[in-house]
Amino acid sequence: MRSLARAALSAFRVSMRLRVISPWAYLNWLVFPVLFAAVGLYVLSTPGAASSHVVYGVLGGGLIGYWSVAYLDGGNGIQDERWNGTLEQIFATPTPLWVILLGKICGGLLFGLLAFLPTAAFAYFGFHAVLPALDAGRFVISLGVLTLSFFCIALTLTPLFALWRWAFSMLNGFELGVYVLCGFMFPVAILAPWAQGVAGVLGPTWAVRALYASTLSEGPHDYASWWLATIGLSLAYLAGAYFLYSLVERRARMSGQLAMV
Amino acid sequence: MKRLVLEGQVFVRSTYLQYVALFQWANPQGYVAYKVLLPVTQILFFVELGVYATGRQNALYFALGNALQLTANAGIFGVIATVANERQYGTLPILLASPANRLVTFLSRAFVNVIDGIATVVIGLAVVVVIFGLNLQHANLLLLALCVVVISLTTAGLGLMFGSIGLVMRDAIIIANIVYYLLLIVCGINFPVSRLPGAVQVLSFALPLTRGVQAARDAAAGASLGQVGGLLAGELLVGLSWALAGYLLFRLLENWARRGGLQEAY
Repeated sequence: MRSLARAALSAFRVSMRLRVISPWAYLNWLVFPVLFAAVGLYVLSTPGAASSHVVYGVLGGGLIGYWSVAYLDGGNGIQDERWNGTLEQIFATPTPLWVILLGKICGGLLFGLLAFLPTAAFAYFGFHAVLPALDAGRFVISLGVLTLSFFCIALTLTPLFALWRWAFSMLNGFELGVYVLCGFMFPVAILAPWAQGVAGVLGPTWAVRALYASTLSEGPHDYASWWLATIGLSLAYLAGAYFLYSLVERRARMSGQLAMV
Repeated sequence: MKRLVLEGQVFVRSTYLQYVALFQWANPQGYVAYKVLLPVTQILFFVELGVYATGRQNALYFALGNALQLTANAGIFGVIATVANERQYGTLPILLASPANRLVTFLSRAFVNVIDGIATVVIGLAVVVVIFGLNLQHANLLLLALCVVVISLTTAGLGLMFGSIGLVMRDAIIIANIVYYLLLIVCGINFPVSRLPGAVQVLSFALPLTRGVQAARDAAAGASLGQVGGLLAGELLVGLSWALAGYLLFRLLENWARRGGLQEAY
């Protein structure tokens, strides 16, 4: 157990060091969130729009940055290993793949949280926008639940990136679809009913709902149900991940074509 | 005349090679991901954002703006990636050592992406028609098509400018990401340029898309060529200026890299 923790910590340390010198990391936690926050704040502060809308601009950019770093770092971490020719070594080490990814993803989540800083500063200094009715305790819990959900999704998706090269492209192409379905910058309630159904099976949707509810006085505040829904769905993803990791390990060793898929 | 034919051959060959070797979406999965999924989800995201902020009646404003901005997907990403990929695949020094006409080689980098940009907008507009019910009954379709072609050319002009930076920058594709999303803010895609601070408005009108998108919106509302001719002429001038600046920068950086033997040093 101790050796696994040491391996995860080592993966965390290496991934953090790489992130600090990677321009991509800065793009994802600093530039992208601010650009999206800028569009969001301009659109949501259109004359005549409800003042509560601006909250989605303040937090939306940060959520987008957080998600991008969380899933991109897990996924791109695997792609980078493939491009750098180290993917086979990772698979060949006695440490299970999930332990290495655990360290990498924790690093991504920590870095991703930074995305809220530039967007909040941009919203405050550029638009004098604040969170009007912040319930700090529930906000922190919702953010924690959201982090758990991002962690589980990243851990679940990453074996897919190892298995199929195109899986990353597909998810990357669908990135803005995730923003829509998880309600990062507007409530899911405005979507078509079928889209709301799809959004309902995504863990972050409920955590994001709770996060926004903790900053607004109006609307429903059914935190317990939302947190439970997120946690339940996240655990279901983890159960799926268990089978995916077994599949990846088996396929990789059987075909010996890890770098070529 | 013979020289012109020769240069034409170089252009065609270079364009073909650029497509087969450097067009990074030339496989079904890549094309579906970045040329179908990304455009569709981009339009959906910004339309829903706009609907939430301003009401369902303004959906088409956001839908049309974002469909047209998709030209930048090819014009900016595609063109910049062309130079970045030359570097990544190790062919940049060979390209710089070749005696081929630089202007022809330079422009051939953009050609496939201009066509691809037009195709992406067609996909985007189809999405807007099907999902959001864009009514083109009163639109000046020929003029709208002309606007799409002009916007594709001008965004590729900007792409050529930033592609040149790829000669001295290892991660030039990062620039592509920033420019692509910056265009969403400053070019009147999702809100009028007049809401931006004064200095940013100056930048807006120095960039492609701003006038082109306005012209396309007018064309979709039924305007004639005479009414939007000025906007389109301005758009073309802006695009040509960026392409020219890009070419000059390309030559400058090429000479710099060649003198110092630095083609792969960055």
